[in-house]
Amino acid sequence: MKPLTIILIAAALLVSGCGGSSNSSTSPGHGHVNIVVWEGYTETEAMAIKKLAAEFNASQPNITVSVQSYGNSDYALQKVLAAIAGGRPPDISYLYGSWAPNIATNPGVVSLNKLIAADPSFQWNDFWSVERQVATVNGKIVGVPALVDNLALVYNKKLFAQAGLSAPTPNWTWTDFENAAVKLTDPAHKQFGWAYVNDASEDTVWRFWAMLWQAGGAILTPDGKHAAFDSPAGVKALTLLQTLARRKSIYFDNGSGNYLGLFTSGHIGMLWTGPWDLSNITAAKMSYGVQILPADLNHQTISGPDNWVMFNNGSARTQAAWQFLKWLTSPAIDLKWAQMTGDLPIRASVSGLSGYRQFVKKYPGIGLWAKNLGNATQARPVLTVYPKISTAVGQAVQAVLLGKTAPQQALQQAAQQVNGMLAVPG
Amino acid sequence: MSVHAPTGRSVTYKRPGVLTRLARSEHVAGWAFVAPATILIAVFALIPIGWSLVLSLQANNLIAPAHYVGLANYRALAKDPQFRSAVVHTLLYTVVFVPISVFGALGLAVALNRRIRGIRFYRLAVFVPLVTSTVATGIIFLWLLDPTFGLVNYLLHAVGLPQQQFLQDPNQALWCIVAMTVWGWLGFDVIIYLAALQGIPAELLEAAEMDGASRLSAFRSIVVPLLGPATLFLVVWSTINALQLFDEIYVTTRGGPLGSTTVIVYYLYQQAFQFFNGGYGAAIAYVLFVAILIVTLVQLWIGRRRVYYSS
Repeated sequence: MKPLTIILIAAALLVSGCGGSSNSSTSPGHGHVNIVVWEGYTETEAMAIKKLAAEFNASQPNITVSVQSYGNSDYALQKVLAAIAGGRPPDISYLYGSWAPNIATNPGVVSLNKLIAADPSFQWNDFWSVERQVATVNGKIVGVPALVDNLALVYNKKLFAQAGLSAPTPNWTWTDFENAAVKLTDPAHKQFGWAYVNDASEDTVWRFWAMLWQAGGAILTPDGKHAAFDSPAGVKALTLLQTLARRKSIYFDNGSGNYLGLFTSGHIGMLWTGPWDLSNITAAKMSYGVQILPADLNHQTISGPDNWVMFNNGSARTQAAWQFLKWLTSPAIDLKWAQMTGDLPIRASVSGLSGYRQFVKKYPGIGLWAKNLGNATQARPVLTVYPKISTAVGQAVQAVLLGKTAPQQALQQAAQQVNGMLAVPG
Repeated sequence: MSVHAPTGRSVTYKRPGVLTRLARSEHVAGWAFVAPATILIAVFALIPIGWSLVLSLQANNLIAPAHYVGLANYRALAKDPQFRSAVVHTLLYTVVFVPISVFGALGLAVALNRRIRGIRFYRLAVFVPLVTSTVATGIIFLWLLDPTFGLVNYLLHAVGLPQQQFLQDPNQALWCIVAMTVWGWLGFDVIIYLAALQGIPAELLEAAEMDGASRLSAFRSIVVPLLGPATLFLVVWSTINALQLFDEIYVTTRGGPLGSTTVIVYYLYQQAFQFFNGGYGAAIAYVLFVAILIVTLVQLWIGRRRVYYSS
């Protein structure tokens, strides 16, 4: 850290005093309960959650929800852990789904199985299968789905027309996709057919998982004890990446998200991306289309759901927190949320509500992502060791993209490492 | 208590009470002045340092209750090939970064240590990267070094040189990080050298000139030795910084491509905050701490023999 930064931090600490206690607690008597929700929303979503919390507070006399922003969701885990260690966790916190297996090891996390079982009106099965898989760790339900997304194919209509290509169809195959990507490539104009995040992070890995599933492969063996991605399906998926990389049809994004600006400015023909990029694409006023992913054997996509996780602050507050989450994730309120934010509905039944058509109209393209959730049938392994697995596979994919290793060899090496990780107990 | 003066006149002198003496004592004033900083350092540095020693002896994912595992983390570390390659990357970076930034700063400081038109502007230009946030620096370099759309490749192309992959090439990425951090840190070294240069008595240089010394030999035999303390400080400081390299990696390459820029602290971060091995991360921190301590002591020991302190 630079000296100036250190001085500024020290000064800030001196001025602010160290550690305020802003957690509200149960007020005595009257049966009135205050609960605290931590979230990392910005802009539209931040306003929407405040609005909904106020609506909930006004709708009943016994519970007051106060919503507090913890800043960027990427860093939420450290803050929540500090709060747990300090003995004052929030009652509810928005946490990434990938953290669920590790979060589940904390004794302060409320297991929702009994609450859900005792409450048929909650309709747990109305949540998409992939959401339920991610929220469940070894049979213990540790969160209520808060957000769901998935990857679809977004393409630049103008570039397709210029290259004499017809628009992608729901029946597109990998061959169609590959041909289009190559045709859209034009080094003279610094134009690429496709973009791939090549920083070896989970961003690199999950797109590969979607391709692996499309080719009929699996990440792990059914018992979860061994790697299974080093299969013919895995090699086939990685070979497609290798071919497109060799033909210079892929723009390698270094993880900073430059691909988005390059797509909207007409330098990239196709993206595999989620609804989170939609607002920027719409704002660019470009002519774009959205289609489900191309198929090898099937059109599977991948989804990364996030959760509302409850922490134990005594039974009164747990009950109140549960009431609030039930309300917040009920179909009618979820549709309201979707309309305000453009997020995908987290429940399947929302598409049957009368206001759903307005939602789809308001955000052109969103309807396809919503429908595509039906193609998100599999979840990544819900294991504490998953981040390590992801790192090993990320290196393998990157090695192939950079032309350093052949697909088969890269996958075998990664599988060997992963088998070693899975052999460690715990 | 009374004191009898030899003249026979009796003078009564009352010794002040303990509190009064304390209040007047310079020790108390001194401690009062350093107390805020001392408390801050204790709370935010010393206690965490002690706590991470405890942590390094535990299997601790920072979420669930931990249990003690003795020295298992350290033993695993000794056999960890990824840690070994992180050490290699860190050492490579350090042995390149430290000489370039210290000698580069010396050259720049000498160039900036004169009275010419616009000198303030030049000094500011050298200083600005230091006060630019690391994140901003990282993003700027990511764009400059983008293989397809970056300015650097554009310029290379303009003069007919081959295009480079820079941060996306496992063989180039670490050197790009060196360039980026030298750019970011040079200003600090230059300030130290400028201050030291201005402390060199002008009469010494005049005397050398009168004795017929060339400018080069005056620089070698007078300026460089008198800058010794500053050089020692900068070498120690830059080495510590280089061994703790993290921010720039985090913002740009995230340890890649293919792990080629995974340095010790970045590996520590991965272990503790991505893989949830808090105890293992703490063990890495302790190994690094001891290594830095030893390197610094050796540097200071050499410095004590070689550096000339003018006062």
